[in-house]
Amino acid sequence: MTDLTAAAPVPKTSILTQDKRTKRRNAAEARFKAYGLAAVLTGIAALILLMGSILYNGLSSFQQTYISLAVELPAEALDKTGNRDPAEMRSVSTFGYTPLIAAAIEQKMAEAGVQIEGLSARDAGALISKEAPAQLRNYVLANPEVVGTTVTFNLLASGRIDGYYKGRVTMESALLDQNISQAQLQLADAFRDSGTLVTGFNWAFITSPDASDQRPEAAGLGVAILGSLYMMLIVLALALPIGVAASIYLEEFAPKNRWTDLIEVNISNLAAVPSIVYGILGLAIFINFAGLPQSAPIVGGLVLTLMTLPTIIIATRASLKSVPPSIRDAALGVGASKMQAVFHHVLPLAAPGILTGTIIGLAQALGETAPLLLIGMVAFVREFPDAPPEGFFDPASALPVQIYNWTQRSDPAFVERASGAIIVLLIFLLAMNALAIFLRRRFERRW
Amino acid sequence: MDDARLTERHLSTDETKIAAKGVQVYYGDNHAIKDVNVDILDKTVTAFIGPSGCGKSTFLRCLNRMNDTIDIARVEGDIRIDGEDIYDKRVDPVQLRAKVGMVFQKPNPFPKSIYDNVAYGPKIHGLSRNKAELDEIVEKSLRKAALWNEAKDRLQEPGTGLSGGQQQRLCIARAIATSPEVLLMDEPCSALDPIATAQVEELIDELRAQYSVVIVTHSMQQAARVSQRTAFFHLGNLVEYGETGHIFTNPEDPRTESYISGRIG
Repeated sequence: MTDLTAAAPVPKTSILTQDKRTKRRNAAEARFKAYGLAAVLTGIAALILLMGSILYNGLSSFQQTYISLAVELPAEALDKTGNRDPAEMRSVSTFGYTPLIAAAIEQKMAEAGVQIEGLSARDAGALISKEAPAQLRNYVLANPEVVGTTVTFNLLASGRIDGYYKGRVTMESALLDQNISQAQLQLADAFRDSGTLVTGFNWAFITSPDASDQRPEAAGLGVAILGSLYMMLIVLALALPIGVAASIYLEEFAPKNRWTDLIEVNISNLAAVPSIVYGILGLAIFINFAGLPQSAPIVGGLVLTLMTLPTIIIATRASLKSVPPSIRDAALGVGASKMQAVFHHVLPLAAPGILTGTIIGLAQALGETAPLLLIGMVAFVREFPDAPPEGFFDPASALPVQIYNWTQRSDPAFVERASGAIIVLLIFLLAMNALAIFLRRRFERRW
Repeated sequence: MDDARLTERHLSTDETKIAAKGVQVYYGDNHAIKDVNVDILDKTVTAFIGPSGCGKSTFLRCLNRMNDTIDIARVEGDIRIDGEDIYDKRVDPVQLRAKVGMVFQKPNPFPKSIYDNVAYGPKIHGLSRNKAELDEIVEKSLRKAALWNEAKDRLQEPGTGLSGGQQQRLCIARAIATSPEVLLMDEPCSALDPIATAQVEELIDELRAQYSVVIVTHSMQQAARVSQRTAFFHLGNLVEYGETGHIFTNPEDPRTESYISGRIG
């Protein structure tokens, strides 16, 4: 105690002026806040840039240019026997329909009094998509009674014409482009003035199947959306029960020993395995060993199930763990069996967390591309798969694979299609995440 | 120790309900309960007192085999309820726990309605044949737990919306809804304010008419107020067990004396 009295007196300080230490401390805090803010702003800027570029490139894919034509469907060309039997009318291929469209265009030009120098009838016909004859044929086969009449169709304009009204094709670029001439663009403008060429919402982009390299205007996401939907159904039906059951067993029933520790560590490891490895696994086991068909949603679904399981198990175990032990004690204390305690009390409380984890896992699976490439889902599929369960075994595509596929194509119109498909995929993902948030809010209970 | 009831209390029965002999409990390598012998009487409130970590809660949890839920816990010795060994291989702990109800330290109502909280036990044990019988059990249990008047108009409201003391009484109602023979209470008042504590204590005293009640408590005053017999635990040993009045006024062991006079603990 005597030492204290001998110490030098502490100089008196005022709290109204900041000393050096305080200033340094405050400066450090201000710097840290600035770094944080800068990081957040960079992130937001990157997001805006990304979304902006996708929307800029992709939104136009939801608009499509159509040419409205009254096509005469002469019986002598389409139904030679005259008994309107679709089976016999099938013998007329799409080539049989091409001249009908050319004739319709010529007639239209004559009606509107359009005269364009250096434009052959063939070039004028090229305004219409190569998909149009097939469109016509399908309609006629479905409605045989229209043969012999004249029907007005909204036929797809070719990709270049479509691009002309979306700013992708210009008069200057047409000079360099073998697929389009200035004369054709002039004709398109003339048609636009006369109301023959119209722009409308592109439902076909969402409903129709993929199309070949030469007809980007006809390419749609129908098969891909259906394929993705089938796979999500399979993932949901398999991963949710298996994952939840495994988690409940591991969390509530399994003894805590070396083996369960090993399993636990490996589940975490599996969650970190690159997804392409699951693709190789799926190829080896489901296709080569089990002999399931390639490109089928069943294989994709099984592979994505394997990939999603660790995510669901980890999320489920976390939410089971977060249920307070007092609830288990309470249930056991009134004489509930362990299973009753889990299923009556713990599981309902953990449900929001489990649902959230499952939906996040599903969203992850929905956007997964790499494993699907290895099991052949990157194939060009134009046939819609049947309704489930048979449809699970039919070839199909998937949304992310379709995007990948389109980015590989040469025609610039596919850039727009790919961006449009990204928008569709993002809408699905946002919807699923919104559902997850909604369910968590809705079922969250306090204790 | 100036509670008036201390002097007027008398033991109502001498019939042994639970007989524990040579009970040892190990948590892994930790020897938590060392050779405890105790006879708990029927229709009596028995208090377990002692400093924190002395094993009183651990021993309580042996009586309805709640320690089974802890992987590393191992129980040795012989515990009999009405002469039947509860650690016999043929005993299903679930059936036992219907007979030996438990109330926990922290009020832990299920996040369900008040009605469902009380009805849960009878439902899973099949104690009622129809809705009317179940209603009756719920009402009776809530009445016994002195909660009926406060809760009768809000039976469908969540049990977690009640106040702390009401929640604890709800937990007691839930425990007695399965018509247990023994009621174990693990520091039931430690999370409650003095007024709620007084209500729960009064309730415990009333429950004594029908049940054998075992209560673990930190508060010596509470033990003195509600119990007829008291067991003092220290470092896993049962130091002294006897009539509450005797333990508090004339302890035989010097450790008991130190504890109740506040020198240790």
